[in-house]
Amino acid sequence: MKIKSYQLGELEELVLMIVAILNEEAYGVKVMDEILDQIGRKVNISAVHTVLDRLEKKDFVSSYMGGASAERGGRRKRLFRITAEGSRAITYIHETRNELYKQIPKTILGYV
Amino acid sequence: MTKHSPPKWALSFLQFFYKERYREQIEGDLYELFIRDGSTRNAKFRFGWNTLRFFRLRYLKGLEDFEQLTTLAMIKNYLKVAIRTLLRQKSYAGINIAGLAIGLASCLLIMMYVFHERSYDNFYPEGEQIYRVANGERGRYTPELLAPTMMQEYPQVEVTTRISGLWESHFKIGDRSFFQDGAAWADENIFSVFQMKFISGDQSTAIEDPEDLVLTESLAKKFFPDEPAMGKTIVVDGNNMQVTGVVKDPPKNTHFPFKFIGRIWDNDEANQNWTGNNFWTYAKIQEGISKEEMNGKLIDLYKKYVGPQTIQYSGHATFEDLVADYPDRHYGFTLHPLKEIHLENPQFSMGARGDKKNVIVFSLVALFILLIACVNYINMATARSAVRSKEVGIRKALGSYRQNIITQFLIESLLITFLAIMLAIVISTVALPYFNQLTGRLFDMSDLFSFSNMVSIGVILLIVGFLAGGYPAYIISSFTPLKALRGQMQQAGKKGLRSGLVAFQFAISIFLVAATAVIYKQVMFMQSQDLGVDVEQTLIINNGRELEEKYDVFKSELEGIANVSIVSRSSGIPFHGFGDWTYQVPNEDNRRVAPYNNFVSSDYEKVLGIELLKGRFFERNRVSDTASVVINESLAKELGWENPVGKELARPGGFSYRVIGVMKDFNYASLKRDISPLIFRYGPGNNEVGMFHQAYILAKVSTSDIVNTVNRIEEIWNEQVPGYPFDAHFLSDSYEKQYESERKFGQVFTTFSSLAIIIAFMGLFALTTFVLQKRFKEIAVRKVLGATVPSLLRMMIKDFTRLVVIGGVVGIGIAFYWLDDWLAGYSYRIELSWYLLLLPIVLILLLTWAVVSAKSYKAAIANPANALKEE
Repeated sequence: MKIKSYQLGELEELVLMIVAILNEEAYGVKVMDEILDQIGRKVNISAVHTVLDRLEKKDFVSSYMGGASAERGGRRKRLFRITAEGSRAITYIHETRNELYKQIPKTILGYV
Repeated sequence: MTKHSPPKWALSFLQFFYKERYREQIEGDLYELFIRDGSTRNAKFRFGWNTLRFFRLRYLKGLEDFEQLTTLAMIKNYLKVAIRTLLRQKSYAGINIAGLAIGLASCLLIMMYVFHERSYDNFYPEGEQIYRVANGERGRYTPELLAPTMMQEYPQVEVTTRISGLWESHFKIGDRSFFQDGAAWADENIFSVFQMKFISGDQSTAIEDPEDLVLTESLAKKFFPDEPAMGKTIVVDGNNMQVTGVVKDPPKNTHFPFKFIGRIWDNDEANQNWTGNNFWTYAKIQEGISKEEMNGKLIDLYKKYVGPQTIQYSGHATFEDLVADYPDRHYGFTLHPLKEIHLENPQFSMGARGDKKNVIVFSLVALFILLIACVNYINMATARSAVRSKEVGIRKALGSYRQNIITQFLIESLLITFLAIMLAIVISTVALPYFNQLTGRLFDMSDLFSFSNMVSIGVILLIVGFLAGGYPAYIISSFTPLKALRGQMQQAGKKGLRSGLVAFQFAISIFLVAATAVIYKQVMFMQSQDLGVDVEQTLIINNGRELEEKYDVFKSELEGIANVSIVSRSSGIPFHGFGDWTYQVPNEDNRRVAPYNNFVSSDYEKVLGIELLKGRFFERNRVSDTASVVINESLAKELGWENPVGKELARPGGFSYRVIGVMKDFNYASLKRDISPLIFRYGPGNNEVGMFHQAYILAKVSTSDIVNTVNRIEEIWNEQVPGYPFDAHFLSDSYEKQYESERKFGQVFTTFSSLAIIIAFMGLFALTTFVLQKRFKEIAVRKVLGATVPSLLRMMIKDFTRLVVIGGVVGIGIAFYWLDDWLAGYSYRIELSWYLLLLPIVLILLLTWAVVSAKSYKAAIANPANALKEE
């Protein structure tokens, strides 16, 4: 039953992991930067917001309003942290992928 | 590099559209990116672009987020409450909406009809300057020379044209041979007066020559579907004609619905005839010249040209003497604006004729229906107010102003009206084909949803919503919260007003029933009149002149058929209109008479079953009969002749005719008019009429086995006139056609009257329900004290009976006044009898009793304990 709800989109998976890495420091622009730095993939800021909202709705992340800063024109940040459900999701995803990876014959991976 | 700040519009955009709690983080992120990008122009652009990319439903403000607009939030609340109220009382809302919807649908259809009738001929460029020229004040036909003479004499007249139409022509295209209607024959100026859009051809040269032919687009496509029609040859009535132009089809709302236009035969310059009226004249007058000014000039023109020729007939010494003799006649020509032809002067129309009376009556009926539906709403809303008094009390106790409650009830009524209009649009769409049948017009969806119609519907929505909702809202909002919450019933509004409105509904219903009954009876009466001619058994064959000299063969072959008894011929037939010709009475001061004139041959009276009172009818092969006439009773009466046989009548040019017989009066035109003087002359061998004396062949056929008989006649026709289509109809059809407008009027009236009555009774039904609810306990108490079911029903019925009687007296009074006026337009009319006027009251009364007692019966037989156990 849980399995179904752990199904995430590719970008969702990525953002969820970034939030886990940044823990408590994650917010829109930061997540976008991190994806660019670590994976080299350019994502639009509005897409990041959408994914974060979606993850929050699925209870994988939670958010709270952080402090204001000058560079943000006095606007506060909305900071994200991963929930227990989110950690379980990451673990589950990692394990299933790993399980599948292990079953791939070594010869095939060798040729690639 | 200059420092930029984020684009202002983007910030306002964010502020206006985006939810507060999302806006902060979005703005924050965008700012951060903007500063990181170096606040450049590029960054500014990106800021704006990203703002738009955030435009997603989730971030957008809903109605509740417009905190600063409290009224908007309130309206949302009102709507919510209104919808809940409707859903809670489905039957009440259903009756209200259905009643209003039927009323509005009728309004929508009738409005479309009225707009259409009023829009006739409004599309010609410079149409304001175009006039129809009437002979006298309203005469249709004008002399041929009028058009050119007007142009010569008066510089104010820009251009004139003569038209003759619309006729039917015989077409031959290749090997196809058929009749084509919609023929107009006109002179070359027609396209200068009526500017049309030419698809091909040139308007200045389109009908220069007698062979030129201009087709409408649809006709051109029908005849030549695959190739251009220009330059094609068509044989029209035996003449080779060439297509020299194709014009756009005239729209539906025209008095001149031609299908093709040919060149009128050339004016014979030597012919200076001003007394033969055969053409319709149109004139385009210079801008700024009034028609009154022109009418004055046209009186002079009449005097100059027509006058001298008229006195030759009348025998007066001078034109002035003639005018003095007939002070009630108008000797002149009169201009009538093009746009007024359809409704003001329908006799000028070449197509569908308008009727101003219809337009007025229909508008009134639509208004009545709408009023009844509104009255229903007001009655039901006020009657129901008791149910809602607690709601109002609580609202007030919680701090509602009176204004808020009024708004709430208004919004409720606007919502009901809106839903009713939606339903009305569906109903009218479905009813459109039926409505077309009723009115004899060809409306389609685009007419129904025309801009003007939609705007009017919007206006009606507001008027009905505020009118019907306003009064109940005003009354209900005046409830005092204390009483309402204590459970005291508050009687909304005055009972008198509600009774008055119901009586008003009854008055309208009874008026409509009375009018429907009388119109129906009048139409039946006219159709059942003894006409004095046999319309059922008379077959009319058109185009008899094509037979030429073969008529005698044709006649004897037809009479050889077992089911055909007699065959005759004539220049005209009853119900198709005869022309009026002038005769003088030579021995009595050259008195003038202008009876209708018909050229016939022998046996005509036998075919039509005309009764001769004195003398004899024309006899076959009696040469002297070309100088004989047969007159009808009316003409004898007009001439004051006791014994007309042997007297003489004269035509100009020294021709004299002896009366040989007098016919009993028979109807040959509409029963709206009395029978006019009529004269029959002998057709064969008569130069004045030429071959036209056999324009129509009449055959008396027995009514058994009609199909075979007509088929046999067609076979004989085809043998005699190969290549010319057979075209025949029964005289009864022509007769019926005359009453089409009355019949349609009656049908439309019946339909909308029934609708009005249905709506009124829906209202009565709902009202009874509420009255019963209120008197529930009273009925129970009465029953406990010994009242019987019949006595309870009587009690319920009594109130309504009084209202029906009051409404009936008013309704019948108005009906009597109006119907008497309407019937005055008919020479053959029914008398308004007491039972025709009493019948509607009785009918409405019975219906009312049925509705009220059906509803009340349930309450009357109920166990009183159920009603009384709670207190």
